[in-house]
Amino acid sequence: MNSVLITLGLIALPLVAAPIIYLFGRTSVRKQRLLGMTLAKLLTLLVLVLEGLLIYLGVQVWVAGGSVATNIGTIQVGLDGIGLIVGTIAVGLGFCVVIFSIPYMENENGEEKYYALLLTLIGSIVGLACSMDLFNLWVWFELMAISSYFLVAFYNEQPASLESGFKYLTQSAVGSALVLFGIAILFSTTGSVAMWSVWSNATSGTPIVYAAAALIIVGFGIKAALVPLHTWLPDAHSQAPSGISAMLSGIVIEAGLVAMLRTLSVLAQTHFPSGIILLVFGCVNILAGNLLALRQVEVKRMLAYSSIAQVGYMLVGFGVAILSSSYVAAAGGFFHMLTHAMMKGLAFLAAGAFLYVLHIGKGEHTALVLDDLNGAAKKYPVVAFLLSLALLGLGGLPPLAGFMSKWQILVATAGVNSTLMICIVIFVALNSVLSLAYYVPVINRLYRLNISETAAAGRSISWIMVLPMVILAVGIVVIGVWPSLANFLTFNAAASLMYPFGV
Amino acid sequence: MSNFPVAFIVILSIISLAGIGFYCLLATRNMIKVIIGLQLMVKGVAMAFILGGNLTGQVNLAQTMALTVIVADTIVAVMGLALAVQVRHRLGTLDIKALSTLKR
Amino acid sequence: MNLILILLVIGLPWLGAFIVLLAGDKHEKLQHVLAVAFSLAAGAAAIMLLPNVSKAVVISLPAGTVFGNFTFVADGLSVFLTIIATVIGSLAVIFSTSYMHGEAQIGRYYAFVLYFIGAMAGLVLTSNMLLMFLFWEITALCSYALISFNNDDPKAVRGGIKALIITSVGGVGLLLGALLIFVYTGSLSYSAILGGNASLPANILAVLAFGFLIAAAAKSAQFPFQTWLPDAMEAPSPISALIHAATMVNAGVYLLARFYPVFKDVPYWREAVMVVGVLSALMAAIMALVSTDLKRVLAYSTVSQLGYMVYAIGAGSVFASQFHLFSHSIFKALLFLAAGAVIHSVGTRDMTKMGGVGKKLPYVKWVFIVGALALAGIPVFNGFWSKEMILEAGLKGGSIVYYSVMVFVAGLTALYTIRAVWMVFYGEPRSDYHAHKVGLAMKIALAPLALAAVVSWLAVGRFSLLFGANSLPFHNIQPFGLKEMFHEVIALSTLIPLAVITLGILCWVFRSKLGGLVKAFNWMRWLAEHSFGFEGINTGIVKATEASAESLRTTQTGIFSWNLLAVLGTIIIFFVLFAIGA
Repeated sequence: MNSVLITLGLIALPLVAAPIIYLFGRTSVRKQRLLGMTLAKLLTLLVLVLEGLLIYLGVQVWVAGGSVATNIGTIQVGLDGIGLIVGTIAVGLGFCVVIFSIPYMENENGEEKYYALLLTLIGSIVGLACSMDLFNLWVWFELMAISSYFLVAFYNEQPASLESGFKYLTQSAVGSALVLFGIAILFSTTGSVAMWSVWSNATSGTPIVYAAAALIIVGFGIKAALVPLHTWLPDAHSQAPSGISAMLSGIVIEAGLVAMLRTLSVLAQTHFPSGIILLVFGCVNILAGNLLALRQVEVKRMLAYSSIAQVGYMLVGFGVAILSSSYVAAAGGFFHMLTHAMMKGLAFLAAGAFLYVLHIGKGEHTALVLDDLNGAAKKYPVVAFLLSLALLGLGGLPPLAGFMSKWQILVATAGVNSTLMICIVIFVALNSVLSLAYYVPVINRLYRLNISETAAAGRSISWIMVLPMVILAVGIVVIGVWPSLANFLTFNAAASLMYPFGV
Repeated sequence: MSNFPVAFIVILSIISLAGIGFYCLLATRNMIKVIIGLQLMVKGVAMAFILGGNLTGQVNLAQTMALTVIVADTIVAVMGLALAVQVRHRLGTLDIKALSTLKR
Repeated sequence: MNLILILLVIGLPWLGAFIVLLAGDKHEKLQHVLAVAFSLAAGAAAIMLLPNVSKAVVISLPAGTVFGNFTFVADGLSVFLTIIATVIGSLAVIFSTSYMHGEAQIGRYYAFVLYFIGAMAGLVLTSNMLLMFLFWEITALCSYALISFNNDDPKAVRGGIKALIITSVGGVGLLLGALLIFVYTGSLSYSAILGGNASLPANILAVLAFGFLIAAAAKSAQFPFQTWLPDAMEAPSPISALIHAATMVNAGVYLLARFYPVFKDVPYWREAVMVVGVLSALMAAIMALVSTDLKRVLAYSTVSQLGYMVYAIGAGSVFASQFHLFSHSIFKALLFLAAGAVIHSVGTRDMTKMGGVGKKLPYVKWVFIVGALALAGIPVFNGFWSKEMILEAGLKGGSIVYYSVMVFVAGLTALYTIRAVWMVFYGEPRSDYHAHKVGLAMKIALAPLALAAVVSWLAVGRFSLLFGANSLPFHNIQPFGLKEMFHEVIALSTLIPLAVITLGILCWVFRSKLGGLVKAFNWMRWLAEHSFGFEGINTGIVKATEASAESLRTTQTGIFSWNLLAVLGTIIIFFVLFAIGA
């Protein structure tokens, strides 16, 4: 298969398939619901498998020395290192989420839209990661945002869900308007929106370019949940269906971050101080996220806040990478992106499973609070174990994946020979300890002997829900004991990111 | 920059459109007006693309992009209005203050 | 050969942990048997390492880039501590079969115990700093999980989390050190810097040295991190014996001993180590004197004895410190297990409610007294020899002030030990308790420890060979036989500590006549009961963190306009910063 077909297939397949899936689900609503919906679900899974296959084929072309890229009109698209890792995460996590959603979304009102939109979301993230053109990047970003608005506000008869959806929509739309403004300024000054020609034309740091960069950071920063632009995040993450929470936290906010990094890398020659900015945001994010999560009683909200902290680790990694031209730091940032997607994905899916069997499955839309989890291990040993695993991994306890990625980031940070960086290492490590203070009590609750009334009255859990969680858990443990497995992904991504910076 | 005064006027109007839009977002309490504020902001940005095309001589590209922006933004506006309809339906009000139950 | 053995020592308990979990809580008997079998097998594998001790790298698994080569070395120090971990681990597991009989979730208990044993062996066997940190944190994780094994008890949960947080805070020092070693030598193995092949800049070496000191102090419950260990006593007694007396708390001492050859020349480092040791020993001994909780007394005495070991390293005698570690692991495990038997039988930990237990449990009384004599440093028991060696080393290597404090602490040790023995086993029963029979498994586990507490010092010659040039090349420790030990310990200066110890015992015997003196020290008692303010500092930090978290939460107003104002504010800050910058 040639590289043009691979690229086009990768980008077009989900978008072509999404309406078909919707139609399958829709036409069957009145007659034979079961058949049509089953077909829709199977088709969704099939498309994701094909996407995975296409990525694999793309890598084969790569390894053989070719490049996977093509032009659509004047727009350049291609699968580079960043595209590879983001695509892999999106497709892999998406696959798990789709399986998880089969029982979770069963018989919900609008089930057929759910899969179509989820596939659109995944497809738009892949497209975003493969785009080599600033304006095109924005289009994918907007498509990703639009498909996620609907998914966040999916329970459209719940006021809380509507509230979070509306807030998410407005803040996110403001963000994309700011991004667009920044891109327009870059277009005006360089006469192009193709990344490489902007890169070669933007050589001096004029105030107008700096203003564009600031707008772009803030704009994408809203999606990437930089503190203080994060305010939409806890609402959206906690109100969305759990599978979508996993997607939002695992890849959507990271997609915002990747888009930001791509755009900043275009401005590499203007000496815009992006490294130090990312580093500052990173430290603020880590501290604020941890403190905000510390006293939470709602499980999903706590996980949402912890996402803010985890994004902070990535920001520190990328900040150090840009500041000191460190390859390892960039790889560490991407590595944490990968491990975080697995760990937070697992955590949200496990929390979602609890939410489903304790509340939503019985038709009550109340939040899952910590007290509900008391003694849950007695009734749901597997899910409780998986949730504990995810939380310990997020807290950075070895030998789980989260420890290894944090390690890589910290190695790179300490490698910059300066006192400030040593202080940052200490700060980050102490914050990791602080995060244990909210992850660990949850685990204690799970293993109490006195089971809470809610947990005792819970429904039984479907094995289909458990299956994707087991997949993610195995990934977490395997990467934890054999971290270099991820090197191919992370170091290629780092190479793609750092290339414009002349590393 | 032979057409400097025109460019200047356009820049001013871009900034004021975006500014009015943002002010509208901050100050208004009606959800419909919030959506209108968003639209204003994005229209200003679309103008910025046209201006950029004019300044760099790539009018076609600029117009294509501006049109794309308008289309994308319309979808967002539709989504927002749909949500507003639902909110009115469920909560009986369009006041943005009703949407502050999720906090802390 | 060593390769297989090392894999077995770490792998067998971990495999066992998995299998015990799989066995399921419905088959309790099977779980007991499996746990004992796996821990004994690991112990056997560890002992088989003994003849093959060498400094050579045994395994080197390349993990690539920033993870270094996963290397393991079976040198003297490692093998010695591995044997301690696995053998005492086996005894604790045997003890548990009776102690934990009929408890719920026994699978989780054994899984974590076995996981711990493997991790502890890994911690001392690896020479890769990443792996060392990894195992370091796993032991902390297991310790936490086992302290709060009884999750329904809020005190146990709090104690567990406290232990985890404090040791992890200290772990930051180790992490930083590991990172710096990697950055400056390009390898994660410690042998490069130990051998002096790679020299670090002086300031980096200082960061390393003091970072490791912080890590060691947190792990070994030394000043100023000592508060977690007494609260860790909520754990089941075999856990206290294994993790909080014999093995995990020694990891800090191990770290200092391992890196002593490079750190000894760092300015003020040895001084700092000695101060940490002396302060911990003194404060903990005083606290042990006023505590009425049997296990807490033992916990304080652990802190105090670990203080001796740390002090010995600061004074320059790694050998004396390790020898005391050896004795201490034996007699403290014995004491904790015996105390566990008492508590299991009587049903309380409060010594004021005991009294006269000796009549009902004579076997436990005698083994406890053996342990107590060793702890107090009474001649012939193993604690005597090692403690004297530390004091001798202190006299040679450190200031006389530290030496006199440590001698004074030896007296205090004798005093609180005899107090505990008396309050528990003698006198009249002070409450209406029922002494249940002590299980056979408990007795079996206690016997070898009691025997070893009497005779283990005879092995000093064999012990010192472990630290010879072939097995521990950088420490430069000479062979040290029984003859040399007699020569060193039976000297005039030994009379001073012995006299002080006797004085301590006499203080207890004539306690009724010393009323005035006791009253004069009431302020000290008050201080000790309030743990010299360290508990207050801990609570203060926790409260401050929680308060700032609460106040930060109010920024999440949920009000739409505020959210957008934050966006606007960020843009404005950017523009202002650029305006200033430009």
